[in-house]
Amino acid sequence: MTAAVPPPDSGSASAQAAGPAAPASSGAPQPVPARWFDGRSSQGRAVLAAIAPGPRGPELTLHPVGTDGGVPEHFAHDAVDWPEAWNPRRPPPRLAVDLGERGSLEIAGDGIARWHAALQAAGHRAGIAQRMQARWGVLAVVLLASVLLLVLFYRYGTPWLATQLTRAVPLGWETALARETLERMDGDLLKPSRLAPERQQALRARFDALARDVPTAPQRYAGYAPALRLEFRRGLGANAFALPGGTVVVTDGLAETASRRGLDDDAVAGVLAHEIGHVVHRHTTRTVVEQGVLNIGLGLALGDVSSLLSTGGALVTGLAYSRAHEREADCYALALMDRARLPTAPMADLLLAIAQEQREESKEKKNGASDSDTEKKARKDGPAGATGEAADVAAAPPRDAGSSPATRQEPAREESGDSAWMGLLATHPGTEQRAAELRAGHAPHCARP
Amino acid sequence: MDMHAEPRAGRMPSSFSPQHIEPHPLEFTGSGGEYFRVWLVNVLLGIVTLGFYTPWARRRTVQYFYGHTLVAGSPLEFTAQQRRMVFGFIVLLVLTAAYQIAARTGQDTTVALFIIAGAALAPLIWGSAMRFRLGNTRWRGLRLQFTAGWRQVYTASWPVFAIAALWLTLFYGLHALAPEPVAGASGRKLPQVTGAMWGLLALTLVLTVLCAIRLEYNYRSMLVLQSRLGTEPGRWKPVYMDFVKVWLATLGVFLLTVAVMGATVGAAFGGSLALLSGKTRGMGPWLFLLILFGIVFFTFMALLVSAPARAYREARMFQITWNQIGVSHMARFKCRLRARSFVALRIKNLVLTLLTLGFYRPFARVSEYRMKLESVTLHVKGGVDQLAGQLQRQQQNGVGDALADAAGLDLIG
Repeated sequence: MTAAVPPPDSGSASAQAAGPAAPASSGAPQPVPARWFDGRSSQGRAVLAAIAPGPRGPELTLHPVGTDGGVPEHFAHDAVDWPEAWNPRRPPPRLAVDLGERGSLEIAGDGIARWHAALQAAGHRAGIAQRMQARWGVLAVVLLASVLLLVLFYRYGTPWLATQLTRAVPLGWETALARETLERMDGDLLKPSRLAPERQQALRARFDALARDVPTAPQRYAGYAPALRLEFRRGLGANAFALPGGTVVVTDGLAETASRRGLDDDAVAGVLAHEIGHVVHRHTTRTVVEQGVLNIGLGLALGDVSSLLSTGGALVTGLAYSRAHEREADCYALALMDRARLPTAPMADLLLAIAQEQREESKEKKNGASDSDTEKKARKDGPAGATGEAADVAAAPPRDAGSSPATRQEPAREESGDSAWMGLLATHPGTEQRAAELRAGHAPHCARP
Repeated sequence: MDMHAEPRAGRMPSSFSPQHIEPHPLEFTGSGGEYFRVWLVNVLLGIVTLGFYTPWARRRTVQYFYGHTLVAGSPLEFTAQQRRMVFGFIVLLVLTAAYQIAARTGQDTTVALFIIAGAALAPLIWGSAMRFRLGNTRWRGLRLQFTAGWRQVYTASWPVFAIAALWLTLFYGLHALAPEPVAGASGRKLPQVTGAMWGLLALTLVLTVLCAIRLEYNYRSMLVLQSRLGTEPGRWKPVYMDFVKVWLATLGVFLLTVAVMGATVGAAFGGSLALLSGKTRGMGPWLFLLILFGIVFFTFMALLVSAPARAYREARMFQITWNQIGVSHMARFKCRLRARSFVALRIKNLVLTLLTLGFYRPFARVSEYRMKLESVTLHVKGGVDQLAGQLQRQQQNGVGDALADAAGLDLIG
């Protein structure tokens, strides 16, 4: 039985190093004793591993040790898969070096530290991963870079990609989706409108007038010209939303709130302009694409940390995009109303009024018992303007920011943005700020026409 | 000069009797803190490269674990070429992206084609993954080989096709059994479900589970039996009923967990839940977000409640496998993993991972890997070097041994 152990001799090492097969550069560190499993012989052969600088990086030469001798084997830089030193202070008890088809080298004990020292001396350039692994400074730099990159990805990358991908989505798909959505909503959420035909007519006329004023070539999607159409429905409170592909739905509640507050149709027209903005900027399609890009991107980047973090990140970022869409639609409304020479202040009043009514309603529900609920319901379902709600409330803007009724697809209306955290989870920017901007006729975030 | 001594005294293959059996407990020499650093580097580089670092990260991870896994005193080696791993990753990425786009833009035909192609090719993909993994695992310069051909892999996959057939039968069976739908009060057609239909559904479910177990059994046994060391095949002793028993026991553990957690939650939150339901009425505007969080919460709870059962199953499967496999008549594995401690470890890891938003995961991974690995002992007849020598004489082109990776100590993917 042959001993598998290389001769534990310190003598042969120095003898070998001094021998004719010694590495060329005399200043090189001492060769490292190792066992070479070459895939041919049954056991590991005792060798001395010498590392010397080469043209492309360190090169390895194995000098056989012992009585059987043999010629030294040379390995070019690329023939060796130089292993990483995971933890320089605590190397593993054994290190295996992959020599490709020529087997593997096994180094034990303090030989490992000497191996790495020799590698360094021969001018080995460690990869970025290895440098991060061993040096805190490099790690910190990459940490900062990755935070910066995540921010850039959120701020520019995803919106840019969404624009590119949305350009590829045909209008036909949008209209089909819109039809399907409306049919589904008609089943349970929405009922046929009970608005007087004359009023419908009047609003439709305003809508068509606005639609005629839409600039023919929107900057972002060249050639995108959806047929704009207005629909009336009952349900979902005071609301208006845009479906992709050109359909805008207004609920009776919105028109009723406006007339209850003594606001003329300019207020509703403003909301319609906002919704047209959603249509023209293809916000629904963008949301679908953005959510997809975020899910994939953050899944790749943070998926290994935790899926909770990556889906949570995608959700919060998606909501931030939703708020950006609302601002964009507001800007569009401002521009469109300006073209049509219409005031935007009534729209601001309408938004504030709806927000206030919603808040009062929910406060009432919170305070009152369930019977007040039924009462409220009765009032809500009653004929338009039956209740004598004061028209002057709109003059006193509410303290905390409510939310807008003008949602694009979801009737999501969230309550007060008491804390910054709630702001992160809102689909819309604060109503008060929006109202102020609309009243002023311009907003700082809007691009100059 | 201080020359190192080779294998430690206890492991010296010094026997002169070929029938002497040596035990070699497997050993993991890495640590959680060390791997945390490896993992953190991977995550950061993943972010910086927008995820394209993934194949390199995988290789580093496997190399870290392999390099610190000692089998009879020698570490495992992962020798996969980085080029091939990158190529595989890009192919997968392109396919995923194409599928996502198709699914999100509602191209039903494409999605259906993707799913069918994926299902049909799954055994092939599995087979080549195993071939890649085993072929790239090396120990003392020796490689393992997975020799199952495509035909064998597909033959072993018959339960997949049986499951597909079962569900098709169910689909058409339900159609045949269903009475005419009656128009409900709201004008919608409400389908009626009869006893026979429930029966058919239950039967299909039971058969599906039996098929799934069979599939797992087939794959695991093939993995061991078709792995060659020289001319010596892997040895496999577990039978199908062993697997069924584990599944039944797992079901028991799951029901127990549900009962215990249900009772605890009921006792602790019974009152506050009623309170909450009273409040939700005033939360109309919040409902949308509430539903969204509800879905996330439900998925999360499902994962949490099933965690002990899944850990139990994993431990028992590991135990069954590693207690009853070997290499022909030369080597045997013995495993003394205790399911209870593994479940406890998994729960502890889960809690800490959640509390740290996922940053405990590397520690969890190391602790579970260590518990599993160090429960296994390799018993070699006549010493490791004799085994290695015998294997190499039988096949010249570097066919090796590294069964350690094969049936459960998996790291990749």
